[in-house]
Amino acid sequence: MEHVEVLIVGAGVAGLACARALADAGARPVVLERARGVGGRCATRRVDGLPVDHGLAFLHGGDPEFLAALDAVASPRCEGWPARVHGSGAPCQPAAFGWDQRRLAFEDGVSAFPKSLARALDVRLGQDVVAATVVDGAIRVTVGSGETLACRALVLALALEQARPLFAGLGDDGREVTALQRLLATLATVPCLTVLAGYPRRAGEPAWDMAYPEDSAVLQLLSHDSAKRSRPAQTALVLQARPAWSRRHVGGHPHAWAAEMLAEAGRLLGPWAAAPDWTQAHVWRHARLEPGNELAAPVLVRLAGGAALGLAGELFHPGGGVQAAFASGRRLARRLTADGG
Amino acid sequence: MANENSLAHLPERDRDHECEGVGPSKVCVRVIAVAELPSRFGRFQVVGFWNNRDGKDHIAIVHGDVVGRHAVMTRLHSECLTGDALGSLRCDCRDQLEHALRRIAEEEHGLVLYLRQEGRGIGLLNKIRAYALQDGGLDTVEANQALGFRDDERDYAVAAHMIHSLDVRSVRLLTNNPAKIDGLTQYGVTVAGRVPHVIPANPYNRFYLETKASRSGHWIDLDGKPHLPEQNEPVVVGSPPER
Repeated sequence: MEHVEVLIVGAGVAGLACARALADAGARPVVLERARGVGGRCATRRVDGLPVDHGLAFLHGGDPEFLAALDAVASPRCEGWPARVHGSGAPCQPAAFGWDQRRLAFEDGVSAFPKSLARALDVRLGQDVVAATVVDGAIRVTVGSGETLACRALVLALALEQARPLFAGLGDDGREVTALQRLLATLATVPCLTVLAGYPRRAGEPAWDMAYPEDSAVLQLLSHDSAKRSRPAQTALVLQARPAWSRRHVGGHPHAWAAEMLAEAGRLLGPWAAAPDWTQAHVWRHARLEPGNELAAPVLVRLAGGAALGLAGELFHPGGGVQAAFASGRRLARRLTADGG
Repeated sequence: MANENSLAHLPERDRDHECEGVGPSKVCVRVIAVAELPSRFGRFQVVGFWNNRDGKDHIAIVHGDVVGRHAVMTRLHSECLTGDALGSLRCDCRDQLEHALRRIAEEEHGLVLYLRQEGRGIGLLNKIRAYALQDGGLDTVEANQALGFRDDERDYAVAAHMIHSLDVRSVRLLTNNPAKIDGLTQYGVTVAGRVPHVIPANPYNRFYLETKASRSGHWIDLDGKPHLPEQNEPVVVGSPPER
């Protein structure tokens, strides 16, 4: 069994920011990620060579450390994106359009950011953590293949619903863990059904970067994703459904809900938008927080025997979003470094 | 007699003020407006600040002419809606605020910095969550920290810049928490002394003090340990601590 000092589960922005900060402080953290790539919801797919951001559509923030990390990304930036915002519906994060926020995307896709954070880190992909228990003062983590790793500190940088069952396996060590379990039980994330759609350039070309329709019960936003690329061969839209609509349809067949979302795009933009050349569907089961659910700080608890359990993610920093995920990961790393001596 | 209008020129002075900021959060503040504030605790002026970080309107409540003064009695108070405005007995915030206002009114020069932390979007809902945990007997340090009433670093950076903006040269800090002195000193405030914040026992605070004492003995604590999510300040009732 492999022994590591700090084991981080989840290679989203929170987990990577935590690992990066620990590595910068001289530690050698190991990051386990279930998916085949890093970034979590900071996600980009390549369709016929065209990058399409199908998770969050752009990055925004005002925190100097966060902005410095964005500036360190090697990809060309689309500074100020989205500049053309259409519609008066609510954005996912109302603060995103505040005067103190810098907004941007990357020409290679928003996943350029997590990829940049992950450079030179020990990130192991395709590792689905299924259980965590305390054995002899260490935390023993089991992955889907049956392999186990032992660590002195475990960081869960996952969606709340994914972290909860692992956290529960480490419980019963006193009031602190019980209080946190009680607290986390009251919080929730929302799902988001997403459709990626590609069109010939001549079919249609919206005059906006992002649209937040007010009069749609189906779509929360339409992102004109190809507007981020320098010479797109086609027009690409990303459609994201409202939380309540997503929750109602998340159990259904993707063909059915994708067709409904495209029909709604057609209603909003014109018939061309309902008839793309290609589509892909994606389910974000834990897309983001319900408003009002943000906590203020990452969590670090000592378990029986002295092992440490940390929780980081957008939930654990005011404001939510990528900036919060990044900040919570770094704050947790600072606490781990200060604690571990 | 001091000229109480020396605050009046500050909004004009700050109209184009822009600075590098204080602390890791690069906090910058400007004085926006100044007005008289006669209150049941004394005759004050209220100074409204803008800052570049949290979008909240922090204020200073000023007694006498503090501009250019040394050793000005100063109290940092963090907003607590349930205590300050609603008179909640779950905390001692209102007693601490009222006492501080009375105390600076007795001084020739004094000020209370009223920091609007609860307006930062994490305060009130999470405070109610914390109370729910307390109701369930699960009031723990880590859970309270996650619910985060305190952002000391930013509070001190904001407070320090506010003190500089008022051109207060040095302060006597009204506090029972020696850590606050370091917090402010770190951001360039000269702390000329510390005045214990002693709340006189009276029929109005006795009930909640007894409630606190009976619920958890360590809440009344002279060592500066955090004991309440709201004010991070030990309560001293009756007489000053002997040290």
